[in-house]
Amino acid sequence: MASRMPVIPLSETYRDITREVARVPLRMPARVPWLIAFILSLALLSLFLASITYLFARGVGIWGLNIPVNWAFAIHLYVWWLGLGHAGTLISAMLLLMGQDWRNSLNRFAEAMTVCAVICAGMEPIIHLGRPWFLYWMFPYPATMGVWPQFRSPLEWDVWAVMTYLIVSVLFWYIGLVPDLATVRDRARKRGWQVFFGIFALGWRGSARHWAVWNKTYRTIAAIAVPLVVSVHSEVSLLFASGQIPGWHSTIFPPYFVLGAAFSGFAMVAMIAIVMRHTFKLGHIVTERHLDVLAKVTLAMGMMTAYGYFFEVFDAYYSGEAREIATVHDRFFGYYAWAYWGAVVCNFLPLQGLWFDRVRRSPVLLFLISTSVVVGMWLERYMILVTSLYKDFLPSSFGYYHASFWDWSTYIGMLGLFLVPFLLFVRFLPSISIFEDKEVLAREKAEAARG
Amino acid sequence: MADRLLGYIGEFGTPEALLDAARQARSESFRCIDAFSPFPVEGMDEALALKGDHRIGWITLAGGIFGITGMLAIQLFVNVDYPIEVGGRPLFAWPAFAVVDFEIMILCAVTFAVAGMLIINRLPKLHHPLFGTARFGLASEDRFFLYIDASDPKFDAQRTRSFLGSLGAWSIEAVRP
Repeated sequence: MASRMPVIPLSETYRDITREVARVPLRMPARVPWLIAFILSLALLSLFLASITYLFARGVGIWGLNIPVNWAFAIHLYVWWLGLGHAGTLISAMLLLMGQDWRNSLNRFAEAMTVCAVICAGMEPIIHLGRPWFLYWMFPYPATMGVWPQFRSPLEWDVWAVMTYLIVSVLFWYIGLVPDLATVRDRARKRGWQVFFGIFALGWRGSARHWAVWNKTYRTIAAIAVPLVVSVHSEVSLLFASGQIPGWHSTIFPPYFVLGAAFSGFAMVAMIAIVMRHTFKLGHIVTERHLDVLAKVTLAMGMMTAYGYFFEVFDAYYSGEAREIATVHDRFFGYYAWAYWGAVVCNFLPLQGLWFDRVRRSPVLLFLISTSVVVGMWLERYMILVTSLYKDFLPSSFGYYHASFWDWSTYIGMLGLFLVPFLLFVRFLPSISIFEDKEVLAREKAEAARG
Repeated sequence: MADRLLGYIGEFGTPEALLDAARQARSESFRCIDAFSPFPVEGMDEALALKGDHRIGWITLAGGIFGITGMLAIQLFVNVDYPIEVGGRPLFAWPAFAVVDFEIMILCAVTFAVAGMLIINRLPKLHHPLFGTARFGLASEDRFFLYIDASDPKFDAQRTRSFLGSLGAWSIEAVRP
């Protein structure tokens, strides 16, 4: 193992790691770019607020929805956002359990990305409800009318799955953050910062007894979070399967959805990692090796997702169902063929560059490929919904879907809902795990000493 | 009158030094000791005899069982209290119930685990006498501290201080409330 490049350069000291990460919240190094990004995000957020205000006033008719295609942007983006979020949990939880040291420079902001993405994902079905102010009808409370929610409906699955996922992601992220909040609290010199971090650090003091219990809790939650990710996105795919629509019944759906989610999510993590290391000069902590591994994981997830594409087509033909086969033909050659081929091209063509070491270690190329993947997965979710829905069972009921201005404004505005909390996190909290990187460094130093 | 002495805290430079110090303190049969480090030090659980504490596991299990049975009970009750017949399908739709049951099992397991961790660790506790010592802030940066409490049966103000010195502590401070 001596030939393996260390994750954190051995020349770093514990103090260097603290300084490099803690300086970001305490003495913001890139004030102007952050401020520009924040103002733009606020503009997007206001667009979102304007869009949903109009939506609440006029109803979902302002979108391009019609009767065959009654699930479009809101649901396809629900799947897309949730998918982006999954990589954060997988990086944090699965790689923690597998003892992958490289995860420690990425997990914190990946988890923050998860939390922000799940907020957006949860918003989508809510605004699609038609009468979102009755959201509370989904919860079992003793209503004066004596009715209860319908637990046999997949809509209930969504509510509980997203709520669970959001709460678990926040808790996992927060308890991982507490020791670092203590570190920043101890470094803070201004009273305001000391109080802010002091309260949120809960009085953490790094006691061995605390660490022992903390470690067990953290690992237990990680072990629970991995099946949670799988269950949440499988649930999303089963949501489709519980309808009658052709094209949504392939048995590959649950793993195909989970892998596709991880695929887009890892690409998103790579994008964020590249931007952060460049903006905040974190090259010592998020090294080329990290980009390399992220690229490899993205490539592997991509190839597994590609298998899902093959299997979906195979499944349709193998079933011998005329409608299933017709849906596949529609995907290939129909009105929305651009979405299918767009997804295939964006997802898998540039991806092949990642077989090469040079490409994996080039931040610019990796960023471009990742962008292509995120766009490709966007198209894929769109394709799965719209191509299945637009040809109803009777030709008289066929209908095309065209995204309206409000579809787009809600979507683009929602990017603000993602970016505003994420930028606040980057600005005010340690966005890279300080103590976990120190742990890696300690292990590397011990190994180096042993020779 | 000077404040009551709560214990002594010694500062070390590396995780290995702290681990050695903790082991020696244990072998000198000090019992009320604690170590402080910026990250979990490998081997410290054994050195301080903290192994074998499975409380978190049990708490998590209890949360999971509570969650799944609680949710299942709600689902069953709801379908008895206000039956919605849809095309003669069974009221107790176990496969459809299972999704929500699973999610709530996880939700309760995780919230129980986090709450359990905070309760066992007695957090949040925003102030602690250790924060009053001059160098303790470094425990979250790059220093490692060994604390010997005055309630330890072997504690003796003079001898404990020199014992910490003999372990190679860089600095030794008295902790007072």
